Amino acid sequence: MTSSVLILIAFSVIVTILVLFVAVRPEFTRARGGKIVAFIALCMLPVLAVWAGVNEHLERSTSTRFCLSCHVMANFGKSLYVDDKSFIPAEHFQNNFVPRDHACFTCHTDYTMFGDYKAKWRGVHHVLVQYFGKIPKPEDIRLYTPYNNRECLHCHAGARSYEEASSHHKTPDMLAQVASNKLSCISSGCHDTIHEVGTLNENTFWTPKTGGQ
Amino acid sequence: MMAASIEHRIRWSGILVAAGLIVQMLTLFWTHPLAFMAFLLVGCPLVAAGILLYLYSLVSHNTP
Repeated sequence: MTSSVLILIAFSVIVTILVLFVAVRPEFTRARGGKIVAFIALCMLPVLAVWAGVNEHLERSTSTRFCLSCHVMANFGKSLYVDDKSFIPAEHFQNNFVPRDHACFTCHTDYTMFGDYKAKWRGVHHVLVQYFGKIPKPEDIRLYTPYNNRECLHCHAGARSYEEASSHHKTPDMLAQVASNKLSCISSGCHDTIHEVGTLNENTFWTPKTGGQ
Repeated sequence: MMAASIEHRIRWSGILVAAGLIVQMLTLFWTHPLAFMAFLLVGCPLVAAGILLYLYSLVSHNTP
């Protein structure tokens, strides 16, 4: 538990005590000072506590641990440890190209103004399916929309290794086509080995010596 | 009579806000989608209902 969470819990405890005091002794609000205390305790401080709670929960929901806490996601987590460089998520995860504790969210958010909130909304839908719907097999899980190159280019655009790679110059306008999303990074026969959860057990797996999750 | 009515609403408002904050605190001990949903669907509405009830008790109070 991080110190920010401890501070938030301590703050919530103090606010709760203050709120309960007003609730137990509402006659306290007859005096002018009591009215001010009641307004702060019942209106201002709870809003502050909830705002801090929302931020904390939103931050947590971007963690790899959070995403993999549903059983159906287990194989997707396992695919991050495949000992094969052609597996794009595994290559990124094992080499720290994405932060390991936010690995899923780094690639599966839209890098647009409301991308984070769209991702959260999809997450809420996933939770509802997990508990109230028909859970698909891991290998049957598909993205809602084709993967947008924008999510790759958020990091790779401008990188020398990306712009100068000979494989990215097979045609003169290849980079332009990728940038305009006309040529998909992951489904044009180039970087098309992704999680592959259906055939995962045919692979060997990397075991991190230190710092792995 | 009026004061008693307002105090009754303030008491309920306090109970609702406190319940919501307790739910929030409990969810902070667990990193799981269900904790997030409990916070969003139980904790937040309780706090919001408490605040709205408190604000209603203020505006519904007619001073002579």
